[in-house]
Amino acid sequence: MTQRKRTSNTQSSSQSKRTSGPAATQEEDDDQTFTQPSTTQVQRGLEKLTPAQVDQKTAEVVQFFLVKDQKKIPVRRADLVKHVVKEYRNIYPEIMKRAARIFDQVFGLKMIEIDAKNHMYILINKLETVEGASPITNPTNPKMGLLFVILSVIFMKGGVVGENLIWKTLKNLKVDVGEKHEEFGDVKKVVTDEFVRQRYLEYTRIPHTEPIEHEFHWGQRAEVEVSKSKILAFMGEVRIRE
Amino acid sequence: MKRARGGDGEEAPRQNATAGQRKSDQSDGDNSGCDLGQADMQDEDDNPGIRREIRSKYRELIQSVQQNREDMLSPSNNKLTEVLEEANKLFKDVRQSREAALDAQLLVVTSDLGKEKASQLAAEGAAFDPPAFTEHLLSYMGLNRLNDGEDEQPIGEAIGYLPPDAWHKVAQRAESCFRAAPSFHYMMGSFHAEPPPPKQRMERQRKAPGKEVKRIMPTQLKKMGGSHQEATEKEVERILGYLKTYYQDDPTSPISYYEFVIDPKSFSRTVENIFHTSFLIRDGLARIYLDNYKLPSIAPVEEGEVEAGGSSIRKQCIVSISPKQWKELIEGYDIRVTMIDPSNMQPE
Repeated sequence: MTQRKRTSNTQSSSQSKRTSGPAATQEEDDDQTFTQPSTTQVQRGLEKLTPAQVDQKTAEVVQFFLVKDQKKIPVRRADLVKHVVKEYRNIYPEIMKRAARIFDQVFGLKMIEIDAKNHMYILINKLETVEGASPITNPTNPKMGLLFVILSVIFMKGGVVGENLIWKTLKNLKVDVGEKHEEFGDVKKVVTDEFVRQRYLEYTRIPHTEPIEHEFHWGQRAEVEVSKSKILAFMGEVRIRE
Repeated sequence: MKRARGGDGEEAPRQNATAGQRKSDQSDGDNSGCDLGQADMQDEDDNPGIRREIRSKYRELIQSVQQNREDMLSPSNNKLTEVLEEANKLFKDVRQSREAALDAQLLVVTSDLGKEKASQLAAEGAAFDPPAFTEHLLSYMGLNRLNDGEDEQPIGEAIGYLPPDAWHKVAQRAESCFRAAPSFHYMMGSFHAEPPPPKQRMERQRKAPGKEVKRIMPTQLKKMGGSHQEATEKEVERILGYLKTYYQDDPTSPISYYEFVIDPKSFSRTVENIFHTSFLIRDGLARIYLDNYKLPSIAPVEEGEVEAGGSSIRKQCIVSISPKQWKELIEGYDIRVTMIDPSNMQPE
């Protein structure tokens, strides 16, 4: 995100992904020039609006989050302001505060800013998962199993692992990075692109390596979502079976 | 000697180092780094060939570190230390900044590697063995350890195949480790209020006529059932009445069975009479006996004589009559008039 900011700094009219000039400049405005309104500004803004209008806007923000969360990709503040908040940006902090309360009290979810610098938000569950609590068993996503393996290896290796060890471990589990897997498809893409975009993993380049090698860390989402003690418990279970 | 050599090196920091190293070279007698003798000392600084040689050796070292990274990281060997020792030796002959820059680059690469190797050592104490973990996990997933025999499994991979739900099993258990927010999806489809009401109306209309039909049925059936039973019973009683009447008229004269039952005008009536008479006999209300001429006769049983069916010996016989026999009997007995009046009751 910082890189994109830099390009928008230098080239104001030409953006690779934007369709028109004016829209591009507006995007920059949203991103760079959006400064948190002060409390007095917020107060003044609230006075001019009816409570119903503020509630409506808050509800829209909540819906936006819920739909965006389907893919587990973090919500950027810039997107939120541009698409939902729009002209209500002067009371943005108040809207966010109310939205957070709605998530907390109505849905049992926590809205967390995982990246304070780039202002990205995710939703996580406030409650611990209890076995057998829900009579409805949602269909399981096998990618979670894959993610669990990678996270546990990183964890046991002290928090950082070279990518080769991960590929080797997966190969032992019959998941070959070079081949198309019948369950996961392009495994490398899932691990290095999807999981990274969801902020479950961090895939960074090791400096001074030729050819380029990368290493894995736990991502920001994993840090808040995943319970390390539960991972250990599961690993213990796996071993006891022998 | 020393002073002469000391005069060669013009750069002050290098002086002591090179002087010291050259001293050891001299004393050793054989140089591992450079094969130059004392006479070529002065040329070393300026000889471009030698400079190039040193630079290429540095580049070689850098490449070897980068290419054999995994190998160098392995704690089982000291390859990294050897590289550093090589670099040390090369450094003795470094004069110009170009070689120094290469030396610096090599230092960066090796120190990175050194840091990784050190972190590896630190983790060794945790004793986490990824291959063992994967073995256990494969068992958890339900690996079928059958050897196909046809496909060659590459060395290092577990033999066998995983069931299709293997990863689902892991995912199911792993999901409880995540405090993920459940994803929100719109429910599919919508409700239409239109169709149901018309259907209900149709059903109600059909039900009404159905009930009436049922009511009619039972009454009809009752009549039918009653008429049959009553007819038989009445008939049997009537015949008994006739029998008794005839017997009372003349108790001594036996009534011929055939004369009693046969109706000269109707064969079917005759058969009915036989049928009804058999009821009387079955119930013990009449008896058939053979008279002096060995011809069957029928007589009613006195009230007192009626016994329970159990004590007397039961005799059974099947009476049959054909139209031909019927005619012969009529002629033989000369029956003109039926003894049992045909009743007017006919099944409707």
